[in-house]
Amino acid sequence: MSEHFIERARYMCSLGGAVGTVTALPNAIPILHAASGCAGNFAWTQNGGSALQVGGYCGSLTVPSSNVQENEVVFGGEERLREQIQNTLKVIEGDLYIVVTGCVPEIIGDDIFSVVNDFRREGAPVIGAVTGGFRGNSYWGYDLVLQALIKDYLEKDLPKVTGKVNLWGVVPYMDPFWRGNLEGARHLLELLGLEVNSFFTPADSLESIRRAGEAELNVVISDVYGQGAVKLFSDQHGTPSITLPLPVGVSASEEFLRVVGEALGLESLRVEAVISREKKQYYQILEPLTDCWNDLDLQRYAVVVGDANYAVALTRFLADDLGWLPVLTVCTDQLQEDEQRALAGRVENLSSGFTTNLVFETDGSQVQGHLNRVWQPSQGQKYYNAFSPAFVVGSSFERELAQQLGAPHLSVSFPVANRAVLDRSYTGFRGGLRLAEDLISAVVAGR
Amino acid sequence: MSHFDNKIPPKREDRLKACIAHSDSICGLAKKGKNCLTDDGERGFTQGSICLLLPALAILNSLPDNVVLLHSALGCGSCSHSQNSNVRMGGNVRWGKVKDGVWLSTALDETDVISGGESKLEQAIIEADRRYRPATIAIVAGCVPGIIGDDIDGVALKIQPQVSATLLPVHCEGFKTKIWATAYDVVYHAIGRNLLQERGLLEPKPEDELSVLRDQEKLSRTVNLMNVSSMGRVDELELERLLMSLGLEVNIFPVFSHPDSFIKATRAALSISSCPTHDDYFVGYLQERFNVPFLLKHMPVGIDNTSLWLRDIAAVFGFQEQAERLIAAEEAELKTALEEFRPLFQGKKVFVSAGEFRALATARLLQELGFEVVGIRSFHHDSFAEGEYEKLAAEATNDYAVDIANVQPFEEANLLKRLKPDLFLGHANGNMTAAKLGIPTHVIYNTGLAYLGYRGVFELARRLHRQLNNPAYNRNLAGNISLPYRDEWYGAEPFSYINTRGRAVNE
Repeated sequence: MSEHFIERARYMCSLGGAVGTVTALPNAIPILHAASGCAGNFAWTQNGGSALQVGGYCGSLTVPSSNVQENEVVFGGEERLREQIQNTLKVIEGDLYIVVTGCVPEIIGDDIFSVVNDFRREGAPVIGAVTGGFRGNSYWGYDLVLQALIKDYLEKDLPKVTGKVNLWGVVPYMDPFWRGNLEGARHLLELLGLEVNSFFTPADSLESIRRAGEAELNVVISDVYGQGAVKLFSDQHGTPSITLPLPVGVSASEEFLRVVGEALGLESLRVEAVISREKKQYYQILEPLTDCWNDLDLQRYAVVVGDANYAVALTRFLADDLGWLPVLTVCTDQLQEDEQRALAGRVENLSSGFTTNLVFETDGSQVQGHLNRVWQPSQGQKYYNAFSPAFVVGSSFERELAQQLGAPHLSVSFPVANRAVLDRSYTGFRGGLRLAEDLISAVVAGR
Repeated sequence: MSHFDNKIPPKREDRLKACIAHSDSICGLAKKGKNCLTDDGERGFTQGSICLLLPALAILNSLPDNVVLLHSALGCGSCSHSQNSNVRMGGNVRWGKVKDGVWLSTALDETDVISGGESKLEQAIIEADRRYRPATIAIVAGCVPGIIGDDIDGVALKIQPQVSATLLPVHCEGFKTKIWATAYDVVYHAIGRNLLQERGLLEPKPEDELSVLRDQEKLSRTVNLMNVSSMGRVDELELERLLMSLGLEVNIFPVFSHPDSFIKATRAALSISSCPTHDDYFVGYLQERFNVPFLLKHMPVGIDNTSLWLRDIAAVFGFQEQAERLIAAEEAELKTALEEFRPLFQGKKVFVSAGEFRALATARLLQELGFEVVGIRSFHHDSFAEGEYEKLAAEATNDYAVDIANVQPFEEANLLKRLKPDLFLGHANGNMTAAKLGIPTHVIYNTGLAYLGYRGVFELARRLHRQLNNPAYNRNLAGNISLPYRDEWYGAEPFSYINTRGRAVNE
């Protein structure tokens, strides 16, 4: 990992994440207070990385943007923002307008809240989030938008409603499978009879988001994404929270249901009944694969490369559900030490007993080097225990590594340039089956 | 003094008086000529677009053996994710090798914004040189260094002796110019200042006289064919085919060219632009500094424009007769081949939206196919396009609208609701508005598809025929989703946010 640059960063800046997040909220309109190119930069990024999903109701180059220029750099951009908000309300149809900022207005010291609050006083549904690109990556931008909603949009002091939960931790467009993954996790919670507020699925609405304070528990399916927001939520609404890994596959879903059930004090017999029913169905569906699984020898060594959510979730799925051997797990996010420790804890005691080597490395070109450190390269000896048969699960950047290893490959983590994803889900029990299908299909593609 | 003697090239609003906020009509623009370039206004409502950084990276990411080092906040340049597919496919069709581009970011953070990012940049250059061993490192500045005052030229000058790669400072501070076509100038500027020096003296031995003569003969009929990424290999091949049938050798430049080979451009007999909007800054420099004359008039999109383009080139070399024979044969063959598509096209109304020259040349092509042009949206306007407006005005059946807008789909949505065209051709990222209105759409630029020369006409016709034969995707969209504009907006005058009395940008 370089200390001086990031190679082919697998995320945008916080503004990019914020824009994607706002466009994924129901009937929400982002208003960028930024230079003109920021919107196009994000549209092109999603084009290349978000598995062919760009835009939405008001995204891509449709987003209102103040397009600040030298004039604003010299004289300040607040008046330009005021004009832009005013005209956006006239031209664009939305139920919530969220001003998000880029580097330029922030560095020149524009105070967006002095402008936004003028509109709020008149009753316009406008809030703001300070998301300048130098503040962090797109995952943090997601967090900042959630924080803005919590501060300025959610109703305060609502009584808690039993059985209501909020679900966070999947970042729209940065997880190309965001729609499906949220719905898969939502479905798990619904199996327990819970009412779920997941903010970004077609089942959500701004009305339900406004009442998110009613939830008796926040469920965050990420050790990193949304953690800032959930802390703020606890402070402001007194709601406890639990953090779980992205529940991909049968083992993770089983744990997910148990932990949520415990946190809510649900009757454990009921939770266990749900688990055993779902597992029964899962294995009933998996069963007919068994002949070919053996005949074709479908067990693989694997390298997993992914963001903070996928690196650990995919590793666990491969080791515990599929019985593969993920010997190297590379997390490509820039993380704090405590975040790294949390992720390490997720793959420390896998139920299969298999142990991976977890490294934190932002630069994809260095993965081969890490693999050489955990798996002795061939010295040209006659009998060599090769890293084969192998599989590479990662982003589309890992195609080069897969080619070098002579291994098949599946793009799951951003950027996913070579797949079209709409609402495919890898979460939950059924998500595990989808992932198994995709992995094994890649192995037998030439058959 | 040449612009190339300065560290930073001029922006196009200064150099060319280019504008982006203007509403007019085809005849109005044909008559006005340069006069309309003086009153560019500002919109009071704007939508996001791109900045010069994006097209600049499209070129830089394609250069083999080059590393792009972005000096800005983390997000600048993430557009490379989509450009990377062009890099991969472009490499594959040219050399049979698929390779990802290499782009890096110094990812300036809050601390750097306060204390400056120059030392971080210095270390990043040194490490990138060691890790990737590239021929060149393009040091690309985004907005942040432009405001906090980091001097990328100073850093490059200081670090150059410590690294083996040639350092190319490229200025892409997005807030400084609203004309993103300045992108081509900033890249050409970096090339002109850093990569055109002759390395070593050529001292041929007496026995090599014959090969020296052969080389000279070859150079005397070698032309630079400029491509800044708006044509793919398939289009290059078509233009190469036409130029080679005139007996010319072709040096395609700069996309997918090795930085060490750029020097070849200085020895050619002629520079040929495939789009004046792209190349004027550099072909002018090649003439001024290396006596390489240039042609910068027509874009070889459409039958007539391709023939005009070829005639101009042939005239420089005295190959007129050959050219006329070639043109006659090509046109006859093409026109016969187009017959099967014409009945479906005849009289259908089309709206065209793209970079100015591309939009105008494509509009002309569509007229040649039998479509009726009912509106044009050009991303900006400058004086290079005057002749194109005249060509279109001469054939226009009515005085249709021309919207000069750096994207701004809200104006387009309003126009399309009024004009109700049967077909829409738009730039990448520019078709969604028309698509959601249920209009059949086709992308006007994609490096995997053929557009240029005679073959481009045929291939585009073939694709449009396919689109028009089943536009169900768009029709279904329109029946089930809506654009985010209020009903009142569709009732308003489409150009009501163009405030010509607004502040001039350089006030």
